[in-house]
Amino acid sequence: MLIADAVGQQYRETGWFGVLFTAILVTFLLVNIQRAKMGKNLYIRRIAGLNAIDEAIGRATEMGRPVLMVPGLSDNVNAIAVQAINIFAYVSRLAARFANPILLCCYNAAVFTLAQEVIRDVYQEEGLLDRYDPDSVRFISDRQFAFAAGVSGLILREQTAATFFLGEFYAEALIFAETANSIGAIQVASSTEATQTPFFIAACDYVLIGDEFYAASAYLTRQPVLVGSLVGQDWSKLLVIALILVGTIFNTITVQGKTTQSWDDKEGAYKTIPERQNDPKQSFIQQLATPFLPKMEVDRPKDPDAEATTK
Amino acid sequence: MNLILQSKVVNFWAQPFNSQWLWTGVIGGLLFGILIFLGLMFMPAQFRRPVVAFSTFIGGAYWVLLYIFPAPIDMQKTELATGPVESVGKFLTDANPVVVSVSGTVTAFMLGLGIFSLLSIHLKRITRRQKDWAFSVVLLAALASMAFFGYADYISRQGPDGTKLDLQANWGFVNYGRDLLFDGLLQQMDAAMFSVIAFYILSAAYRAFRVRSVEATILLSTALLVMLSLMGAVAFVWNDAVRNMANGNDFLMNFQLTEIAGWIRRTFETSSLRGIAFGVGIGALAMGLRIWLSLERTGGGA
Repeated sequence: MLIADAVGQQYRETGWFGVLFTAILVTFLLVNIQRAKMGKNLYIRRIAGLNAIDEAIGRATEMGRPVLMVPGLSDNVNAIAVQAINIFAYVSRLAARFANPILLCCYNAAVFTLAQEVIRDVYQEEGLLDRYDPDSVRFISDRQFAFAAGVSGLILREQTAATFFLGEFYAEALIFAETANSIGAIQVASSTEATQTPFFIAACDYVLIGDEFYAASAYLTRQPVLVGSLVGQDWSKLLVIALILVGTIFNTITVQGKTTQSWDDKEGAYKTIPERQNDPKQSFIQQLATPFLPKMEVDRPKDPDAEATTK
Repeated sequence: MNLILQSKVVNFWAQPFNSQWLWTGVIGGLLFGILIFLGLMFMPAQFRRPVVAFSTFIGGAYWVLLYIFPAPIDMQKTELATGPVESVGKFLTDANPVVVSVSGTVTAFMLGLGIFSLLSIHLKRITRRQKDWAFSVVLLAALASMAFFGYADYISRQGPDGTKLDLQANWGFVNYGRDLLFDGLLQQMDAAMFSVIAFYILSAAYRAFRVRSVEATILLSTALLVMLSLMGAVAFVWNDAVRNMANGNDFLMNFQLTEIAGWIRRTFETSSLRGIAFGVGIGALAMGLRIWLSLERTGGGA
């Protein structure tokens, strides 16, 4: 019973390694956020897609046509939707300064509510609340292709000069990108879904790939917390790379090795077997991450009330 | 039947139906919600941030604890926890459906705001006779009729006679109405939008595969090899030709079309996708941490 207290169900499949690794990553992030707060000058590499944001808004201003933004198809307010709205806050801030109309189309009602609050706050902070149009942030539909049809229709009717598709996108990604491309809008896009990134690359002018999406707000606003977090992410990626290298070495050694003995449960001893290659699943790194402990029976007292109701 | 009876087992998060504790919890929760709502409304703006930060921390802390705190091993509903660690683990696990329901309830309220946004935009367009106002009429009519027929159909299917409606012969007006609007129109329009993607893929692929640079040429040739490998006849002829020429040479056998395509997918595609997935995962962790600890300022200044 002491073992049951000490080891939870979730650790029987993944061991302690998952939690330990997450704790190390969290430490990296917090340490770097602290470093940045203390004024340490941290370097961020140039990201072309983010430099294009200013260019896109400038172009929309020159043409006098709206900027369209879509924060993806998140089913709820999650980290991806919040990050997309953070980037759109920057876009809206620039658009507000240049008196450029904006359109922010939402798929989810909760994301819509958040986006509406954030964009209004942006206009208020800029002292340009009179330029804020409450209808510029819109809930379109929470049905994938109805949303796709609605946004495509808006792109065509409003003849948007610049479009930003940032967040979770699925099959509708190409519908948006090709529709905007057909009217010559400058496009900046990013999907956290790796399957949709190639479609954006094919159809859009600038694409943020993978974690560049998460780097965007740090790159654009240079807030110390965000910059520190970004450097922490880089440290974390270095740790992942190191782990992959170590894993490759250990797996290679294991696979190249040979087995000549096998444990016999009945006899309770090792017995000699014909020589065969080791099972890669037995490698150190595999065991570390997925130990798959055997099923364990725990002897617990029964709840008399519960017993009575089930009889 | 057994499952229904088991659900009556007393735990903090699932009190028995109509029990005193359940009503106390419901009324207490309602009062607490109203108090928080009024408090936030009348609170000066500078005090709102710590309250929101505290609520966010508590909300996030539950998920963090659920992830790291040892969950009871293979515990049945009829069993009692053996110690404080198991008790806390059981408490957290039992709370899961409740926490998920709270998120669902909040989202449901926000759907109302979403519908308000739709009504506001389209009613304004209709009353001001703006361009394409007729489409707004269609949208609002579709919204109202879908809600009416959907709900009426749902109600008609409740109760002991509900199963009779599995047979189309027993359908009434509302059931036919829902079938026409949902299966007859909405599903078909969804399918039509989805099928449009095929044409967009063609036009996007044409632009992407134009030989403009070294990178585009590599992309074109790689995609061509992978696509050809998926065409059965082409792959068969190519592989057969290579097998005949290789004459048992293991190295030359690697030049079979399916081998080349497999190598491209295993070596380049999988590793690239995993690289992207690691970056996205770490980015999401960082973002989540910043939100949980209220380090992030949404809409941060430029």
